[in-house]
Amino acid sequence: MVKDEGVIIFFFVVPLVYPLLYSWIYNNETVHEVPVVVVDDSHSSLSRQFIRMCDASPDVKIAYYAQDIDEAKSLVSRQIVKGIYYFPPEFDTQVNRLEQATMSVYCDMSLMLAYKAIFQTAQMVSMEMGTEIKTKLGGKYTVHEEAISAKPLAFDEVPIFNPSGGYGSFVLPAVLMLILQQTLVLGIGLSAGTAREENRYGQLIPVSRHYHGMLNIVLGKALCYLMIYAVMGAWLVAGVPRLFHFPQLATWQTLLVLMIPYTLACIFFGMVVSCLVKYRENVMLIMVFISIPLLFLTGVSWPQSNIPGFWQGASWVFPSTFGARAYIRLNSMGASLHDVIWEYRILWLHALAYFLLACGVYRYQIYRARADVRERLAEKKEQARRTTG
Amino acid sequence: MSEENKEKQAIGKGVLSILWRIMMRELLILRRNHIYRFSMVVFPILVMIFFTSLMDDGLPTSLPVAVVDQDNTSTTRVLTRRLDAFQMSRVVAHYPTMTEARKAIQRNEIYGFLYIPKGTTEKLLASRQPKISFYYTYTSLTAGAMVMKDLKTISTLGSAALGQATLQARGFTDEQIQTLLQPIRVDLHQIANPWSSYNSYLTTMIVPGIFMLFIFLITAYSLGTELKFNTSKEWVQMANNRMVVAIIGKFLPQTFIWLALVYGYEWYVFFHLGFPHLGSPWMLILLGLMQVLASQGFGIFAFGLMPSLRMSMSVCSLWAVLSISMAGSAFPIMGMDAPLQSLSWLFPLRHYYMIYQISVFNGFPLIEAWFHFAALCAFLLLPWFVVSKLKNAMLNYVYIP
Repeated sequence: MVKDEGVIIFFFVVPLVYPLLYSWIYNNETVHEVPVVVVDDSHSSLSRQFIRMCDASPDVKIAYYAQDIDEAKSLVSRQIVKGIYYFPPEFDTQVNRLEQATMSVYCDMSLMLAYKAIFQTAQMVSMEMGTEIKTKLGGKYTVHEEAISAKPLAFDEVPIFNPSGGYGSFVLPAVLMLILQQTLVLGIGLSAGTAREENRYGQLIPVSRHYHGMLNIVLGKALCYLMIYAVMGAWLVAGVPRLFHFPQLATWQTLLVLMIPYTLACIFFGMVVSCLVKYRENVMLIMVFISIPLLFLTGVSWPQSNIPGFWQGASWVFPSTFGARAYIRLNSMGASLHDVIWEYRILWLHALAYFLLACGVYRYQIYRARADVRERLAEKKEQARRTTG
Repeated sequence: MSEENKEKQAIGKGVLSILWRIMMRELLILRRNHIYRFSMVVFPILVMIFFTSLMDDGLPTSLPVAVVDQDNTSTTRVLTRRLDAFQMSRVVAHYPTMTEARKAIQRNEIYGFLYIPKGTTEKLLASRQPKISFYYTYTSLTAGAMVMKDLKTISTLGSAALGQATLQARGFTDEQIQTLLQPIRVDLHQIANPWSSYNSYLTTMIVPGIFMLFIFLITAYSLGTELKFNTSKEWVQMANNRMVVAIIGKFLPQTFIWLALVYGYEWYVFFHLGFPHLGSPWMLILLGLMQVLASQGFGIFAFGLMPSLRMSMSVCSLWAVLSISMAGSAFPIMGMDAPLQSLSWLFPLRHYYMIYQISVFNGFPLIEAWFHFAALCAFLLLPWFVVSKLKNAMLNYVYIP
């Protein structure tokens, strides 16, 4: 196994390097200073104040002033800015006339995060300035009364768990768990493919004294993978999040308790898959593309409550679905093991089921290898008899 | 006609018939090995169906939220009912305390909750500005953002409804009330995708990305298996040792299959499902062609650099999976570190996505995306650098398992 480059890549290089790469990609968490162009037909102090306040916000940067909408549009088409703030000529007059003033936001919708930054900033500024105008118009006696009449019911907005709304903190935990499963399956599949190809008769399990007993083979192989992935798993679920300051609320004991069934389930799952591939490359063609749908099935990118039932069912086959869900809730949301007991039980169930399945397919492989040997032996004997006879 | 010309013509005819023969040979290979059937047709179609059906709603709807109503008066109940009427959220539970609501989030039962403390109505009537709060989780960014939007709207509306009643009592007209409640209105124009549908965001990048993954892999695989099954010498000799002819002959049938797949996807997504696109159909055809050719170029180049089946396939798969992040569709490139912004040029999917976004999605002329178009052309020409190395590998290398 150690001599095989492909296996080395998937067992050692990918689990070590990929998390670092992904963390680096998403490390900035949010987009700041999204460039926006302003078309100010109002030329009033009110519109200028609006623009200044937008520019002062962390998410938006006023990059250009354009004469008209067409010029602004050409800036959008050249990807220099992501949106347009337009103030109509009557913007200021309307407010003074006690009419509702309107400012327009045109968003390039190709980037969700940029759209959110542009729109939410405009909304926030309009609300802030609105409160200011309201108090001026209201004609109240005290400052306190002004505040209350502007906002009779105050509200607080509290994002909990990943409070900054960071992209990395949200997607990375699931990616880490998925890397563990996918590299294990790919590595096991590749090494099984190599074993088959190196075997003179294309058998997965050679007939020799070292390979005696189905249980010994399955457990022996699993133990080897477990030893490697004890280290890799620790690096993935504890090392990387610490290194890049992603939320980490679970204690190492809880993580250990979670990772044991998850790693075992992944190992036996990998061994089952490895018996199905004839050539080593095929496992790559099957397992690599599945990673991305699997990420969606964990329910991070697309809410779990909105995944159609059919795909929910399909996701039950893979340990990663439950491993990632449990890990996110333990580590990013500070849940206790009791809160994820459902996922946890399924992981043990997976480990057991895939262990039995692995035993079954290995027994079949051994049987086939033996039958093959017996057949060849019989042939040889026949030959020998013919030559002597 | 001079002798020279005749000779040239003969060679020309010869090239065509050689190409034809190599193409026929390739079609036979594609038919014989099941893995091609699966990787070029079955899996890609499965992926396409997966993503389009997964996000069929466009936006997640009826996300479970809860209410912690410690006041429990008719005013607060109206608020709760209104929240339930929203499209994005559905009130699934009422909890007596905040702790229990938080635990429900941790158990993955709800994505957020509205907290109304005791005495809210009383304070409201006495105009002492009570405070309600809403809590939501951002561990699922999409769900969090949607729930936040609804909770925020309901909180603002609650405030507005009360203000409206007071102002009406004082004899303001409806228009004046509207101004007093919201002096500046933001008028949002969502160019090209007014539904802000997630399906058209994610599917249009991820599905072509996975198609590219398959093109990379199959290209490297089909070159590598020539070595593995020891047919490489026969292949090169069929082309009279002209490597360029051999490569074109081998990959042309694959190109046609990939093109059929890509155009099928584009038809399904943009015309059958009606995803928003302002660009012309010709743009889609050009984009599909460039996508296939650039990916094949990358696959051949990767194999030429490392003429070993396992290494080139590993590199191709790692590159393709990474490119889905580096396309900058979910998390924009401008938010990444500067070195990563330059590195993103090395991923064909990034250029594909930019051309798609500029010329198909927004319908701007191709000239605005000229750089990315040139980059895809460069990927298409990459095999040029490795032709001689490839020939050497095909004629002299021996496959080691």
